[in-house]
Parts: sequence; C-alpha cells; structure tokens
Amino acid sequence: MFATLVEKELKSILLSPKFVATFAVCTVLILLSVFVGIREYKASIAEYETASQLSEQAVRSATSWWGVSPRVFRKPNPMQIFSAGVNNDIGRLSDISTWTDVKLRQSSYSDNTLFALFRFIDFAFIVQLVLSLFAILFTYDAINGERESGTLKLSFSNAVPRGTFVLSKFVGAWLGLTIPLLIPILLAVLLAMVMGVPMTGVEWSKLAMLIGVSVLYFTFFVMLGLLVSSLTKRSATSFLVLLVIWVCLVLIIPRAATMAAGQLVEVPSVAEVESQKDRFRTDRWDAFGKRRSEAWRERMAGAEGMSQDDRRDFMDNNREKWAQEDDESRQLMEQEIAENSRVVDEELRNRKAEQEQVAFRLARMSPASAYQLAATNLAGTNTSLKARYEDAMKAYRTAYAAFIADKRAEEQRKAREESSRNRSGMRITFGGGGDSPVDSSEMPRFEEPDQSFASALEPSLADLGLLGAFTVLCFAGAFIAFLRYDVR
Amino acid sequence: MELQSPSRALLEADNLTKRYEDGQLALDHVNFAVAAGEIYAMLGGNGAGKTTTINLFLNFIEPTEGEARVDGIVTHRDPLAAKKKLAYVSENVMLYPNFTALQNLDFFARLGGRTDYSKDAYRDVLLRVGLQEEAHGRRLKGFSKGMRQKCGIAIAILKDAPAILLDEPTSGLDPKAAYEFIGLLDSLRGEGKAILMSTHDIFRARDVANTIGIMNQGKLVMQRSKQDLAGEDLEKVYVEYMAGYMDRETETV
Repeated sequence: MFATLVEKELKSILLSPKFVATFAVCTVLILLSVFVGIREYKASIAEYETASQLSEQAVRSATSWWGVSPRVFRKPNPMQIFSAGVNNDIGRLSDISTWTDVKLRQSSYSDNTLFALFRFIDFAFIVQLVLSLFAILFTYDAINGERESGTLKLSFSNAVPRGTFVLSKFVGAWLGLTIPLLIPILLAVLLAMVMGVPMTGVEWSKLAMLIGVSVLYFTFFVMLGLLVSSLTKRSATSFLVLLVIWVCLVLIIPRAATMAAGQLVEVPSVAEVESQKDRFRTDRWDAFGKRRSEAWRERMAGAEGMSQDDRRDFMDNNREKWAQEDDESRQLMEQEIAENSRVVDEELRNRKAEQEQVAFRLARMSPASAYQLAATNLAGTNTSLKARYEDAMKAYRTAYAAFIADKRAEEQRKAREESSRNRSGMRITFGGGGDSPVDSSEMPRFEEPDQSFASALEPSLADLGLLGAFTVLCFAGAFIAFLRYDVR
Repeated sequence: MELQSPSRALLEADNLTKRYEDGQLALDHVNFAVAAGEIYAMLGGNGAGKTTTINLFLNFIEPTEGEARVDGIVTHRDPLAAKKKLAYVSENVMLYPNFTALQNLDFFARLGGRTDYSKDAYRDVLLRVGLQEEAHGRRLKGFSKGMRQKCGIAIAILKDAPAILLDEPTSGLDPKAAYEFIGLLDSLRGEGKAILMSTHDIFRARDVANTIGIMNQGKLVMQRSKQDLAGEDLEKVYVEYMAGYMDRETETV
C-alpha cells in the first residue's frame, strides 16, 4: 500500500510538465552558478598569487628594513564557489606595519560595484531562493489538489490509513524532487573536479555537509507545502498562503532581524572608532614629542658652557644612551597606542558580536536564515571570516614587529658604527641600510587561518538542529491536520 | 417500511442520521438494506440526502445517530475493514490526468488490495466497460467525462468488492453508453454484488433496480420493490410522493 502510494506520487511528479521545466531551470542555474564560481575562484587565485609575488618582490628589492612594508593577502577559498557569503564584501589584503593597524581592504565589491548591486548567484543562493520556491510549487496542492480533483475521495474509498497516505505523500514528493535535484548538484561537483578546483579532504567533507544541509532546508519547504495543503481546502488558497509565508521567511525576516538588531544594539561606526584611535594616537605622539624636546633641553643643558670639542665628546658619549632612552620611551608610547587600539577594537568587536547574536537569534525564526548561516559557516565565508583573517594578520603583525624591530635596531647600530668611522673621513650613509637587498628569507611568513571540519560544523549545529526541528514540526502539523481532513 | 431481503444484506442503513455542525439535518433516520445480487436505486432531488448516505457508507463523514453497515461491519467503527468490501464510483470520476487509463487502473487496483492483475486483465475490463482499445494507453487529461466515467466503473469492477456504491453513475454518459452501463450493472448483479445507486434517472432506475427508494429532505419517503411498482408509472409515483411529502411537511409547519 505504502509503496503503491509512493510510486504513484513519484510518477505524478515525474510525469508533470512543471517538473520538466523546473528540473531544466535548476540544472542550468546550478551548473551555471558553479561554472561561474569556479572561474571567479580561479581568477581570484591568479590575482592572489600575482599580488603576493609582487609584494615579496618589493620586500626582496628593499635595501633597508626601514623601507620594508609587506602586505598580506587573503587566500581565496574553494568553498566560496558554493557559498560566497561575505567573501566578496570583505577586503582581500592588509598592509602590515608597526605604525598602522591591520585592516582588510579592497574587497571585490569595492572594486566592482556593479556586482555589489546585483550580487553573485551561488549554489546556496539557488537553494535558498529558487529551490525553496520550487518545493512550494510542487507541494502546495499535494492534499487539497487531490480533494479538488476528486482523486482523494476515490483513494479513500479504499482501505487506506490516513497516516500511511500523508507519509507516502511526503516520501513520494521528497524522493521525486530531491533525487532529480541531486543530479545537477553531483554534476556541479564533477565540474569542480574536472576544472581542477584544488579541494582538500576537509573541503570535500564541508561540501558534502553543505549538500546535506541544503537537502534538509529543501525538505522543510516540502513539509511546509504539505502542511498548508492539508490545512486548506482550495489549492489557490494554499498557494497564496505559501507565497506569503515564503516571502516572509526568505525575504523579510532575515533583513528585518538585522535591522531590528541594529536598532536594539548600537555599534559605533568605523569612522567613530578610527577617530577615537586617532585622537589617542595624536595625543600620545604629541606628549612623546614634548617629552623628547624636554629631554633634549635637559640633555643640552648638561653641555652648557662646554667647548665645541668637549660638547662633541659629551654628545658622542651619551648618544647611544639617549637613543636607547628615546627608543624605550617611544616603544612604551607605541605599546600604549597598541593597547588602546586593542581595547577599542575589542569593545567594537564585543558590540558587534552582541549585535550579531541578537540579529542571528531573531533571524533564526526563519529557516532561510538558519540555512544561510549554516551554509556560510560550513563554507567558511561567514561573518567571522574577517575577524578570523584579521586575528591571523594581527598575530603575524606582532611577530613581524618583533622581527623588524630587531632588524632595524641592528641596522641602526651598524649605521652608528659606520657614522663613527665616517667622522674619520669615511663615506656617510643615511637610513641605516646598505646597497645590497635585505635577506627576506628570514622574515616571518603569514600563516593562513585554517578552519577544520569540526570548527566549521560546530557553529552550524544550532542551525541544523533548528532546520530539523522546523521540518519535524511541519510534518507533525501536516500529519495531525490530515487525520482530521475532510476528503470530500 | 422495512423490506425483507431474499438473501444476506450486504449494505444496511440502520436509523442512519446526519446533522451537520451548522444544524442542518441532512439525513433523518433512514433505514434500508441491499442484499447480495440486488440493486437499490435511490431517487431524489438535489440535497435529498443521497450523496450523504453514500458518504456515510464510505465513512467520509460520521453519523450523528444510527449506523451504516457493510457486510455487518459498522463503517464508522471499523472503516478500513468496511472499505475493503466496498467499491465506489463517483458522479464525476476524476483520475490522475498525467497517467494513462491503464496506469490509473493499476494504481487504484493495487490501492484496493489487488496486486494480481496483469495488463491484459486491465484491458479486458476497460473493453468490458466500453472504452475503446486505442484509449487504454492514452493519458486521462484528454478524456471526455464519459470516458473517465468508464474508467471509474472499471476501477470498481477490478476491486471485486461484494458491495458497490454508485453516485449518479450515468451522469455524463451518452444514451448508448448509459444503456451499456445498465447492461453492465445487470451482469454485476448476476455476479452477486450488492449495488446501491443514487440517481436522478427514474427510467433507468425502473429498468435495472430491484428496489427503489425515494428520498426527500433527508428522509426516505418511499421504498418499494420492482414487483410492487409493476404496472405503475414511476414518474407519477415519484412526483406524487415528492409533492405529497412536501404537502405533509407544509401542513405540519
């Protein structure tokens, strides 16, 4: 009985003209989006490699560590092909300097505003918008359509348990829609393999999980269609109700939640934060300048009344000590500035995290948001991508600052030694460097932040659980509603 | 107005009453029985309660009072067991439009618990109900109402249930098809089926039924055997009963 009903459901879907149309649209959209995504990924990899090489070349050609100002680049992630997330919105590079903070800049969208306006269509987008709509198109009349056509009455003139019928409706619709959809998805995966996208084992696992979450999200909409269809008598009514629900879940709630969170938790703007940091930095530099002038006045006071030779000796004898004092004072000030920046950034980050949590909590009322969050978490293109990279870049900056301080101190020492020798008729050089380029092989290397499968899955678990719960609730609702459904 | 059936009653309405939630009394203490090898024709205007009676036998609705029984099984107590003994043809047979006639037959036969039929068996039944062979493999969406009706009758035959419920079965059939259908009913009666048929067609009811019941405003106002009606003008009887009953109702009011 169950198998007969499932088979009938499968046949009904596969033989319907709308199936051919939707299957063709889905196949074209999925394959096209992945193809374009692969090309974009490859272009960004080429750009990344060229920019990295140019930056390394600039470092290698520098003749003094004072002239070295490296840049680090965010390496494109193959998972961005399937779920771009915030990948195109955040910057691709940051200057690494002891003077300025790490800041990702030059995002794809800032370079190409046309794409920022219309965005890219990726696999997750197709699932979130197109497939969810198709699921509704196939299930809005699953129950009431049969009532309207009279086949429900004829079916129930036989000894068909209602539970079996509604379960077969779900299984049939699910199999009839999911299995054909897996074909273009698998073709897309094959396309990625053929086009040589360098996917690691972890990335394949993430992709498999992403497909699994997509199927779960699609299942929710199949269930929702079944639920509304078994709560209404007319298919026109269920279609309209489902369309309104779809618009709310997919288009309104995610955006409204973000807007509401923005109103509930205020976060200072980037300009405000930058100006706060700038003010502190300027204050400290001014104070440092004053202290230094004061110190020089005091130092010079010690040389008052001395002959020119005694004065020079006095200066030579104290130069290193004074330089050390100045250096210590400057380092102390820089530490203060860095600490202030850290505190301000941390406060900003905490506020942002708070706002983000409120937005996510509200947005998760919609399975579409839960899916989007899970998809971007799994792809590693979620909202924490920027923080993940900036943290790694800050860690690199710390290592780089320590390295460069040593190198520059060494250069200064050499320069001073040379300067002493020059006074006895030797050549004078400025800037501390020589003619030969610096040995960049000693420079610390930037380590890309790595995201394991477990760390990508962990933040997705809540969304997976929610999607599962929404789906089960819809099925339970459809089951109960159908037990009381008037089949006449 | 109880009738003695010559053999075992397969379809029984016992004080069958249905009052809807809005207070409307759709069926008022109706009693009748249809024995194996018998055709019972329910006549009556629109809203007389004919379809409500059939819906109660199919347990699409539950009775407010009394019970409908199929081979002794109370339909609202054990609907699944009762439905195993019932086949049904609706007034306007609607099947799956994207399936062929054979595919529709196969699905509903299996749903009725018959998995032992071959394609040839389906073709034979379709030919028996008068559906031409060229239409067997065609999708239902191009079928006329009469062709769909024939498929519906074929589905009922395939189920091979002891009792058959027919709700306006000749509606939409051309005169030739309706005539052939009556012949088909006769042969099903010969196979020992108990047939309950609701119809507006007085003449065909007189031709084929063993017993004729006239329903009006949820009540079974007349119930007579074919022998009792012999020599009488059924149309006149029908009009008289309907009018007389209405007069009585008016007097009561």
